[in-house]
Amino acid sequence: MKITLLGIVAATALLATGAAMAQGKPVCGLNNGKAASGEPIALGAVVGKTGPDDFSASALASQAYFKCVNANGGINGRPVELTIVDDQWNPEVAAQAAAKLVKDRKVLAMVGSSSFVECGVNAKMYAQENVMVIAGVGVPRECFFAKNYVPVNAGPRVSATVVAMHAAQQYKAKKMVCIIPNIPSLGNWACDGAKDWGKANGVDVSVIAIDPGSPDATSTILQAAATKPDAIILNVPKGIMVPMLAAAEQQGLAKKIHFVSSTPAYNFDVPKTIGAAWNGNFDIHLEFMPVESAGADNMNWKATMEAFGAKSDPRDSFAQAGYLAARIVTEALLKMDPKKIDRASVSTALRNVSGFKSDILCRPFYVGDGARHNANSSGPIAQVSGNGFKQVSSGCLMAADPELSDLREQEKKLGL
Amino acid sequence: MPDLLPFLISGLGVGAVYALSGVGLVVLYRSSGVLNFAFGALGAVAAYVAWSALEHEWPLPLAALAAVATSVAISLAYGRLLAPRLAERETTVRSIGTLGLALVVLGFTEWFWGEQPRRLVLPTDAGAIEFADVRLTYTRVLGLAAALLMMAAVGLLLARTRIGLAMRALADQRGLSAILGIRVLQVDTAAWVISGAFAGVCGLLLANIVRLQATVLTFLVIPAFAAAIIGRLSSLPVTVAAGLAIGMLEAVAVLVPGFSPFRTATPFLIALLAIVLWRDASRKA
Amino acid sequence: MGHPMTPDSIQRERRAARLALLRMVLVVLAIGALVPWLANAYWIKTLTSSLALAVAAAGVALLYGQLGLVSLCQYSLLGVGGWVALRVGHGLHWPFEACVLAGGLSAGVVGMLAGLPALRLKGLYLALVTLMLAGGFQVVISATGFPDGGDGFLGRISGSERLMLPRPAIAQGEGAYFAYVAAWLAAILALLEVHRRTRAGRSWALIRRGEAVAEGAGVNVLLYQTWAFGLAGVCAGVAGALLAGAVGQLDGRAFAASESVMLFALSLIGGAYHWVGALVAGLLLRAVPSLLVDLGVNGYLAMVFFGAALLHALITAPRGLVGQWLAALQRLRAKGRP
Repeated sequence: MKITLLGIVAATALLATGAAMAQGKPVCGLNNGKAASGEPIALGAVVGKTGPDDFSASALASQAYFKCVNANGGINGRPVELTIVDDQWNPEVAAQAAAKLVKDRKVLAMVGSSSFVECGVNAKMYAQENVMVIAGVGVPRECFFAKNYVPVNAGPRVSATVVAMHAAQQYKAKKMVCIIPNIPSLGNWACDGAKDWGKANGVDVSVIAIDPGSPDATSTILQAAATKPDAIILNVPKGIMVPMLAAAEQQGLAKKIHFVSSTPAYNFDVPKTIGAAWNGNFDIHLEFMPVESAGADNMNWKATMEAFGAKSDPRDSFAQAGYLAARIVTEALLKMDPKKIDRASVSTALRNVSGFKSDILCRPFYVGDGARHNANSSGPIAQVSGNGFKQVSSGCLMAADPELSDLREQEKKLGL
Repeated sequence: MPDLLPFLISGLGVGAVYALSGVGLVVLYRSSGVLNFAFGALGAVAAYVAWSALEHEWPLPLAALAAVATSVAISLAYGRLLAPRLAERETTVRSIGTLGLALVVLGFTEWFWGEQPRRLVLPTDAGAIEFADVRLTYTRVLGLAAALLMMAAVGLLLARTRIGLAMRALADQRGLSAILGIRVLQVDTAAWVISGAFAGVCGLLLANIVRLQATVLTFLVIPAFAAAIIGRLSSLPVTVAAGLAIGMLEAVAVLVPGFSPFRTATPFLIALLAIVLWRDASRKA
Repeated sequence: MGHPMTPDSIQRERRAARLALLRMVLVVLAIGALVPWLANAYWIKTLTSSLALAVAAAGVALLYGQLGLVSLCQYSLLGVGGWVALRVGHGLHWPFEACVLAGGLSAGVVGMLAGLPALRLKGLYLALVTLMLAGGFQVVISATGFPDGGDGFLGRISGSERLMLPRPAIAQGEGAYFAYVAAWLAAILALLEVHRRTRAGRSWALIRRGEAVAEGAGVNVLLYQTWAFGLAGVCAGVAGALLAGAVGQLDGRAFAASESVMLFALSLIGGAYHWVGALVAGLLLRAVPSLLVDLGVNGYLAMVFFGAALLHALITAPRGLVGQWLAALQRLRAKGRP
């Protein structure tokens, strides 16, 4: 009896430490601890690094995952080489970057790209060269309406729609204003999801398109507040969002109107920067489960970054996106015959991705062979709380945007 | 007709920004003949220094001092080491030289501090004057007061003091003034120090009122040029009035349907109008 | 420089001028033919942009080098030319050459219109006015974007894929398009050179000395100054159309006022007094930043390097880099002569 009890205690202790150690060690690819040494598989990523914001976290996370894969048997023995190019937020440079990767380096696919400008410029070339792009983050409309471009994130239109739905649900808001920068492919698209959903559900959502270079945030806030809305949806990059909240706070509107935002506000410097007035008072849609969630895949992402990423690589939602993109591609490549890995077969394999599950995502991810891709169309809602965030939605909200109807059809066909 | 007054008042905040920067630009132009493209960049680096100091729990006066000292130091270094080498060239080339300085300072600031949302919070943000449904924080009132004060102070400096006279002489005819015994080095130092101090203060206020972001702050110098142009690069009171007017009109433009997404063009439109209407007065620069 | 002018020496100088023109055209065409064999896809694309921008830089150099006028809105005129070329190409399906000409001519007209009120302005005021124009253009174009195959005046498409401007049939591939752009560059440079060596050039030189001098000599200042603005506008417009063809589309966010300022600054550094200066300016605008990015240099550190290089070039090379090189070459030749 005693021995058995001791045995049980010892076994539990061993298991516990074993589990703790397993949490520290990332699981990726074949997971056999053997360094890959075959012929490298070339992949590429185009990121907007030098410019109004730094989107490179996505590709850096993909790179960390691939390093993990290479240390664990590679793709059936072959290591992955990811080349990351900065497009400096300049469309010309984005075209050059894509030419470098696709035509000079002859990459088999693009993984973890995150650029504001490259979708419009390169989508056609990717389609012509039959290169699939499993992008970490896409922003303007062209990223979600291209044959070969598959963003893992939800996009500003879906994000604004979800957060509008949340505001209606949580705060019974019947009148909303959605603020969006007046850039083509964003200004006339990204707030319209909320608007169209509102029309179908008895909520009045008006859109204010602002000049992103404007130094005067106060007038915009005053203009929005003049219509006496119940909620204001900020669908702007965080650099513009912070001065807007500052202006709203200075005008005493923080307690009068509910402020909600699409996903760019989900960044760890934001709560401290916007200050105490927004504590418990600012809701944000997240494209993925929160960064601190305890799901197994999320912990694996953290472990991968810890073991294979640089100390300076951000651990934010962009990095989650890059990790997912890399995982999707790795799993697709592992299913292929290692001797027959070329661009055409890789593209086919990627199009066949369906039912990819991760606890970082709300619903299974898929690619499909449709003319456009926007598989991530749901997410949880977080709220600024103290110096961080806390989740305030029970689970995820799915965007009821009329424009997504063709994708819902596809999802039904794929059985998702 | 929606209520214009709140927007006019809120526009005063932005207007003070334009007025202050305009005065800073005209000051340096009148005292050294150089149009300083780096004015915004110097302000930006000062604002970031202040932010870092505040993050490290420095008291505000010390942080502000460090910030202004930074912009003064860089301005002085340029004015004493590099500007004299371009002194023989024409005005435009000397101004393009400051563009080089702007690139160096902007590039360094963005590289060193990186991209992350930041806000420069000043204690004067806490209080505000309430006026017709709009609240004007004390910081903006301070900006307004500073613009008017600087205008008077610099006007007096240039018109009534010896060093002001020396500055104007040097800006006009450098070689001749040197022969006449004006102490070129001393006067140059004064001009660039004043300009650097201006840039630092403008940068702090701008970072609070607009956005603490290096590229935005650097290129806010272009609308500031609009205010300076309307003042014909010489009259400080007109520059201040122009800056305030531009700010108010840009704010009110939010109400004009169809024009609202283009309202950042207001400073340029007004400057162009002013040039075209007062063409005879602005024949030579 | 001190020898007397005889009918023979004038004949010799004319022949030398014609030979120089021919040499220039041949060198540019040779570059167009050879580079595609040597460069990879990344560099061909980069150098295509460089050549297109060299066309614009030539216009800037014309205004500054010949007339001493500073225009800080040439990149916006590039945008105007690109806009017209795209609108006409997508909407009316004109052949590519016609699109380029349409872009060039419309930018030329806009340049002339902008030049008219600026006629009496000199020096810094002209620079500031053109900067204001550039600022205004930036705001407008970031909001309207460039035509990409849709209907309506703005020609923006929504609901389907954006169209690319179709390239000319003879220049579909990257290497072929590079040679095509080189041909346009050669043509524009020749046009400007012919202007310089004829009555226009002499009139400009007189205007540069002073309006009173020029009018005293019987030069129609209004005509020639406006003509110069128009020509510079044509250069910018052609460059814009060629750039639109290179990438297939243009993005409204890439036409900030700062681009015009950089274009002017780098044209100055390249050298506003010789045609090679325009080539160097184009390289500085596109090839050097690409090289730095290729080498993995952080974009912002590259900016610091650029600013320092700008200052250095301004201080040590008043006639631009090309001026420096030519002076060095002349010194070498002088050493070689007894």
